[in-house]
Amino acid sequence: METKGMTRREFVKAGLLTAAAASLGAGVFKPTGLWAATPTIKGPVKLGYQAIMSGALAGYGEFHKMGVQMAVDEINADKGIAGVKVEVDFRDSTLKADEAIKNARYFVDSWGADFLGGIDSSGQALALAPVMAELDRILMVTHAATEKLTEQQVFKNGIKQVFRISTPTYQDGNAAAFIAKDIPAKTWATISPKYEYGYTCWEMFKQTLGKLKKDVSFTGESWAPFGTTDFRPHINTIMDAAPDGLYSTEWAGELITLVKQANQAGLFQKIKHVMFPVGAAMDVLEGLGQELPENIWISGRYFFLYPADNRNRAWVAAFRSRWNHFPAYVSETGYSTLFALKKAIEAAGSKDTAKVVQALEGMEIDTPAGRRVFRKEDHQAMYDVPWGLTKTDAAFPFKVMGKQVMVRAKECFNRPPFEGAGTKPPF
Amino acid sequence: MLESIVHVCLAGLSIGMFIWLVASGLTLIFGVLKVLNFAHGTFYMLGAYLCYWVLGRMGENFWLGLAIGPLVVCAAGFLIERFFLRHVYHLALPYQLLLTFAFVLIFDDAVKILWGAGSLGSPNVPGLSGSISILGRNFPLYSLFMIAVGPLVALAMWTFLERTWWGRIIRASSSDREMAAALGVRVPALYTAVFVLGTWLGALGGGLAVPYVGLLTPGMGEAIIIDAFVVAVIGGLGSLKGAFFGALIIGLLSSFGTRFLPTFDMFLTFILMAAVLLWRPQGFFGEAK
Amino acid sequence: MRRYALPLIACLILAGLVLVGILGSRFTVYITMRVMILAIFALGYNLLLGRTGLLSFGHAAFFAGGSYGAALFFIHVNRHPLLCIAAGIALAIVLSVIIGFFCVRHTEIYFAMLTLAFGMMVFSLIWNMREITGGDDGLVGIARAPISLWLVSISLAKPSHYYFLVMAFFMVSLALVYVIRQSPLGLILSGIRENDKRIEFAGISLKNYRLAAFVISGGFAGLAGALATFLNSNTTPFSAHWTHSAEPVLVSLIGGLQTFMGPVVGSLIYVVLREVIERFTQNWMLWFGIILLIIIMGFRGGVVGSMVSLLGLKNRPDERSEGVSA
Repeated sequence: METKGMTRREFVKAGLLTAAAASLGAGVFKPTGLWAATPTIKGPVKLGYQAIMSGALAGYGEFHKMGVQMAVDEINADKGIAGVKVEVDFRDSTLKADEAIKNARYFVDSWGADFLGGIDSSGQALALAPVMAELDRILMVTHAATEKLTEQQVFKNGIKQVFRISTPTYQDGNAAAFIAKDIPAKTWATISPKYEYGYTCWEMFKQTLGKLKKDVSFTGESWAPFGTTDFRPHINTIMDAAPDGLYSTEWAGELITLVKQANQAGLFQKIKHVMFPVGAAMDVLEGLGQELPENIWISGRYFFLYPADNRNRAWVAAFRSRWNHFPAYVSETGYSTLFALKKAIEAAGSKDTAKVVQALEGMEIDTPAGRRVFRKEDHQAMYDVPWGLTKTDAAFPFKVMGKQVMVRAKECFNRPPFEGAGTKPPF
Repeated sequence: MLESIVHVCLAGLSIGMFIWLVASGLTLIFGVLKVLNFAHGTFYMLGAYLCYWVLGRMGENFWLGLAIGPLVVCAAGFLIERFFLRHVYHLALPYQLLLTFAFVLIFDDAVKILWGAGSLGSPNVPGLSGSISILGRNFPLYSLFMIAVGPLVALAMWTFLERTWWGRIIRASSSDREMAAALGVRVPALYTAVFVLGTWLGALGGGLAVPYVGLLTPGMGEAIIIDAFVVAVIGGLGSLKGAFFGALIIGLLSSFGTRFLPTFDMFLTFILMAAVLLWRPQGFFGEAK
Repeated sequence: MRRYALPLIACLILAGLVLVGILGSRFTVYITMRVMILAIFALGYNLLLGRTGLLSFGHAAFFAGGSYGAALFFIHVNRHPLLCIAAGIALAIVLSVIIGFFCVRHTEIYFAMLTLAFGMMVFSLIWNMREITGGDDGLVGIARAPISLWLVSISLAKPSHYYFLVMAFFMVSLALVYVIRQSPLGLILSGIRENDKRIEFAGISLKNYRLAAFVISGGFAGLAGALATFLNSNTTPFSAHWTHSAEPVLVSLIGGLQTFMGPVVGSLIYVVLREVIERFTQNWMLWFGIILLIIIMGFRGGVVGSMVSLLGLKNRPDERSEGVSA
């Protein structure tokens, strides 16, 4: 009796498998990559974009989409990329590495993506790099900040297909140290995320500040796990350490919670010098509104009031009228990704990965965030984002950067070959 | 040092009460229905969002939001129990978990569709938004309020279960469903009522959590559900008294651990959870089998 | 008929998988590998859940054990894929013996909570032992070296080549699980589910048999984890998280707890369904949740179980007749 049942079940299973194979895209028996051999651009330019769209950080996915969608519409309303339309497909990256890999493979092998973009988590970016080499498609990272991506995967391992348009941990660690050297604080402590990003930035901050200023010491660390909703024990730890300065790479909702709870505990009255490397993120500024104290040092991967030129002003205005939001930094990096690819494809005269990689290497492009240059060696976009002190501005319902200090990318970004003397700031 | 210990203690108490408010409904439902409700974190999230939504329409009155928001969630709880959960009571444990898990997925996305993917700021609670100075360091009034509300909820539940006719029936059905049914208790209706009450407690926890955490995010329920599980287990599954003290233990452990053990981690709470399950599965306060 | 049925089915599955491997697009091949890896995880898991009725919420820890075991062996010892996979399985088994030793003292919800606690301990260890595990970044660059056996060397670099290795392990797992289910051990295990008192009276140590099932399922989880590591060439701490432990429960239930092929069909439905839903909407959780609801409410014995009873192949979707009394 068992055997008979088995037979039918196996048939059912085989049938399902066939149906599944058929449903997994028309591309099953279609040779892919035909276009790669042709010199002129054919068909649309397809960009597969993945970002976090579920869970506590889902707001970031929305901001990514706004920027990307806006760029796509602008490009298609104009002349497209080299005369062809650009198409984009979005997927939820879920912050899990294997999902990111599945999405990338779907984009390239099933949907037919020519380029990939997005990625918020460092772990995902690192895991995707070898996949990009295998799929031979360019991935433009727009948020994940780990320096290992560009230093190790691109520079050392030679994965040429990966680029990053957003600032890496150098902005959070090294640049912060340049700011801190001029702050009259001798002791520093941190409340930071209990994962690689938090550890790396604090280490970089300590190393660089130690070199810039001899008489500083680092007196307290409190590591908050991902998803922390109650920072009060961490705040107690720091208040007991009583440092002159607090450095925190908490970001997004957790930074909002931290600041609110620190306000209640009176932390900002006790500790005068506070640095939030990703405090200038739009969700944080809007989420905190007037609750963000004055004279806090903040920065980000882009700040909508910098540069104060016409291009950026026009872009911010267009963004606001389109979405009724101020642009978040991931909106800018997503938006600029499209234009960077457009420029590179048009320069290369082809969608061919190798040619576009070549065009992107060393390419300069003017974007809302200012001029970006993709460094040839590690594919990191070099561009400047200011640090600034928070202040109230009647024009905005939230705090903005008042006094701004610029630490230039070329001064604070690690330099190739990333090992040995002269590769880490100060230079 | 004294100042530090007092504040670490207070922080621990408020964390504990925060978890207790969520774990109380979970424990009540498990105690009577013997269902481990994965969707309890979802009720917490819905409570927070609906509280926020209602108060936005009621002139930013936090207390009105807190009064009405969780009641709306109760409607969802009623529908889930009446039309879905009821049909899987007789099935194995995984079916119940999976069913409630399906609702976690559905409501996580529903919240995102209804209120947007981004985080939302918390409302101001009149009279409780400031801080008071204790031994020279500020402590938020709202946290003190949480420390007070926790025991009040516990007391109210205890009175309800021990001193009222309804409570007696619930306790009777919880210990012997067949006997209660034989004595004329309409057990299915009672289960619905208990589930709705548990839902209300979870949603109330969510509403109260909004000013405490400071913001609302889709998926906020997923972080709390494991804490609630740990607390429910440490206290002895189904024991409200146990859950109350279990929450206090976890709250104080995480506060003191974070402050005095630099390497402190959730690892310790899971060791505690495993140790309790191995040596006192009925929990600290549960009666021995 | 009966004598030839089994080999025939095996050949059919094999032929289908080989066809996918040869003719399928790169993405179909990749997705099929994911289905097979999840199926191996769930097949082993269902030996515990389906046979003994024990619901574990910690099996992701063994998956991660296999994953990190293979990756660490790759980095520090030897790059031979088969040796790495063996090392992964070994670590998973060691972990499941230790954790299982404590967990099998309980059943039902206490067992579930105990496995949850131990599983989250492993997750926490992986997250925090950064020097060894790479923290939340995981271990990256776990490449697929060629399999060298005596004189031949088979390259696995291409996914289509690796596919056949995964397929081989899948077929072997299928056969192993089938054999285990039919073995005296398998019969005793389902006896435990039906009536543990009776088994105990028969002089059989419940704990030892539960532990055996626990460790065997942990070994399969380790195999799945090791294969996944080479598929994606990295490891991630989330592979040990409790949400990942829910996956084999989910697919076993979708397919049918009490059926042999349930976990396989469930894995296929789970992976493909999600893939299809994501083509239409980014709110995949909503639609997946609704479909899950329909499956739970409408197909009590899982899809396979329901189909079997619908087609009248068996009177009952569960295979009680297979118990010890048979």
